Amino acid sequence: MSEYLLQADELCFAYNGAPAVEGVSLTLRPGEVLGIIGPNGSGKSTLIKLLMGHLSPQGGSVQWMGRDLKSWSPRELARQVAYLPQSPTADPAHRVIDVLRLGRAPYLGVLGLESRDDLEIVKEVAQALELTDLLERPMDGLSGGQRQRVFIGRCLAQQPKAMLLDEPNTFLDLRHQVELCRWLVQLTRALGMGVLMSVHDLNLAAMFADRILLLDRGRPARLGRAVEVLEPKLLSQVYNIALESVPHRLHPLIVPALDEM
Amino acid sequence: MILTLVAAAAVWALVAGVCLFVGSTGNNWPTDEQLAYRLERVLTASLIGAALAASGVVYQAILRNPLADPYLLGVSSGSALFAYIWRQPMAAAMLAAVGLAQTAVSQQVFAFAGALAAVTIVFVLSMRRGRLEPLTLLLVGVIVNVIAGALFLLINILARDTTTQMTFLVGSIQDVSDRQLWTVAVLVAIGWVLLMLMSAPLNVALLSEGEAASLGVRIHRLRWAALVTASLITASAVAISGPIGFVGLICPHLSRLIVGNDQRRLLPVATAAGAALLALADGIARMLAQGRFAATVLPVGILTALMGGPFFLLLLYQSRKRREL
Repeated sequence: MSEYLLQADELCFAYNGAPAVEGVSLTLRPGEVLGIIGPNGSGKSTLIKLLMGHLSPQGGSVQWMGRDLKSWSPRELARQVAYLPQSPTADPAHRVIDVLRLGRAPYLGVLGLESRDDLEIVKEVAQALELTDLLERPMDGLSGGQRQRVFIGRCLAQQPKAMLLDEPNTFLDLRHQVELCRWLVQLTRALGMGVLMSVHDLNLAAMFADRILLLDRGRPARLGRAVEVLEPKLLSQVYNIALESVPHRLHPLIVPALDEM
Repeated sequence: MILTLVAAAAVWALVAGVCLFVGSTGNNWPTDEQLAYRLERVLTASLIGAALAASGVVYQAILRNPLADPYLLGVSSGSALFAYIWRQPMAAAMLAAVGLAQTAVSQQVFAFAGALAAVTIVFVLSMRRGRLEPLTLLLVGVIVNVIAGALFLLINILARDTTTQMTFLVGSIQDVSDRQLWTVAVLVAIGWVLLMLMSAPLNVALLSEGEAASLGVRIHRLRWAALVTASLITASAVAISGPIGFVGLICPHLSRLIVGNDQRRLLPVATAAGAALLALADGIARMLAQGRFAATVLPVGILTALMGGPFFLLLLYQSRKRREL
C-alpha cells in the first residue's frame, strides 16, 4: 500500500489540440486538504476529470492507492473516491434522502436494493451534516447552502477515502462558503480522508488547504503550503491583475491592488 | 418494496377483473364463451400496456427527458411498419431471395429491426455534442411517425391489401393467435426482468455522465443496454397491436406522482398502471361498440390518443413554464 491516496505524474491533456493540462504532478495523503487555484480556463476542472478517469490523459499517469487508474473498475473506484462536479444534477422530483441514497449505488447488489447497513450509513451521514430534519424535503425546496450540503452528503455516503470537489463554493454566500470549508476540514481530519478541491477564493484556500496547487494555463505554477504559493508577485503574473498582500493574523490576505481607482 | 409490487399488481387485477364484465355484447356476468374472448382481450391489452409503460419509464430515464415515450420517439410506428411489411408477400419474396423462409425470421425480429431503425434515426439526428436535445428529439420522432404512417398507407394501397384495416395506423387490440401472444408475453417478460435489474443504475443515470461514472455506473453501456431492451419490448408489443400512443407517457407520470422518481419502484408501478390503463381503455372501447357502432370495435389507439394528446400538451405547457425546454 502506497502512503499516498493519489499520485499523478506529468499529466497532459489537450482538447482538439489545444493544451488544457500540461505536465501536472501531485499527490494526496490521508487527512490532507489540497486546494487547486488558478484563473478561469487554467485547467482546474480538466485536471479533476483526468484524476477521476472521466477524461483519459494523453500523457502521464494517475495512481489511486498505488494502483494505476486504468486497472480500477468504475464501481471499485466509486467505493474509494467520491466526486462532486461544479453543478451537480438535482432532479426536482428527488427528495434529500433519495440523493443521499444514490451515494450507496456502488455498494448495491444485483437486485439493486439497499441493505440495512446502507440505510444506516445514510442516516449517519444525514446526522453528521445536520440534514436529518430535511430528509423528506424535495431538492428544489432547499437553499443553496443546504443543497450543497446534501451533495457533500451523497459523496460521504460512498464512504470514500478521498473526495474530489470541483468548486464546491460556487453559488454560496460568504457564511456558507466558510461553513462548508469548515465541515470539509473537520471531516477530513476525523475520517482520515483526503480532499482535493478547486477553489476560486484565494484567501479561503489559504485558510483551509494544507497545500495549494496554482495552475497557470494548464501548467503547474507552484505547489506548496499557502505561504509559499500565495506570493503577490507570482499571483499577479498568473491572474494578470495587480495583487498585493495584506498582513492578517493567520495568513497574509491577497487583495487586488486598486489604488488607481 | 414488496408492498409496492403487491399493491400495483392488485390494482391491475381489480381493473382487469372489472373489464371482464363489459363488452360489445353487453355488460353482464360473462358466459363461458364471452369469458374466453374477453379474457384473451384483457390479457392482450394488459400485456401491451405493460410493455409500453415500462419502456416509457426507461426512455424517460435514459434520455433524461420527461416527454419521452415509445410512440412519440417513433419507435412504435417504426416497429409497427416493419411488422406490417413482414406480412406482405413482397417481404416473403425478399427473404426467400436471401435464402430464408418467412417463418425463419419471425414478425418480432422484423418489428425489432424497425424499432432499432427508428431509435437510431432519432438518436443520430438529435444528438448534439453528446447531448440529446429534447425538442429536436420530439420533432424527429414526429417526422418518423409521419413517414412510417405514409409508408404504411403506400404499401397498403400498392398491395391492394383489404384485409388489414386502417386501424393499424392508430393501434388496436386485435385477435392474435395463442402462439403469437405467448411469444410476445415471453419476450416482454424477459425484457421487463432485465429492465428491473437495471433499475437501480438507472437512478444514477438520471444524473450527469460524470456523476454517474463516479458512482460506479458504466453509463454508455447502461444506456445502450436499456435502450435496446426497452425497444425490444416495445417492438414485441407493437408487432401485434400497431402503434398505440401515449400509454408510455401517461403511466410513468401518474406513477411518479404516487411513488416518486425511484426507478426501482417506478418501473413496476408504471408497468401495472400501463396494463390497467390499456385494459380499461379496451373495455371502454368494447362498451362504446355496444350500440351505435355495433360490429366495429373502436380501436383503442383512438382512445389513448384522445386521452394522451391533451395530457402531453399539459406536460409541455408546464415544463415550458418551468423553462426546462
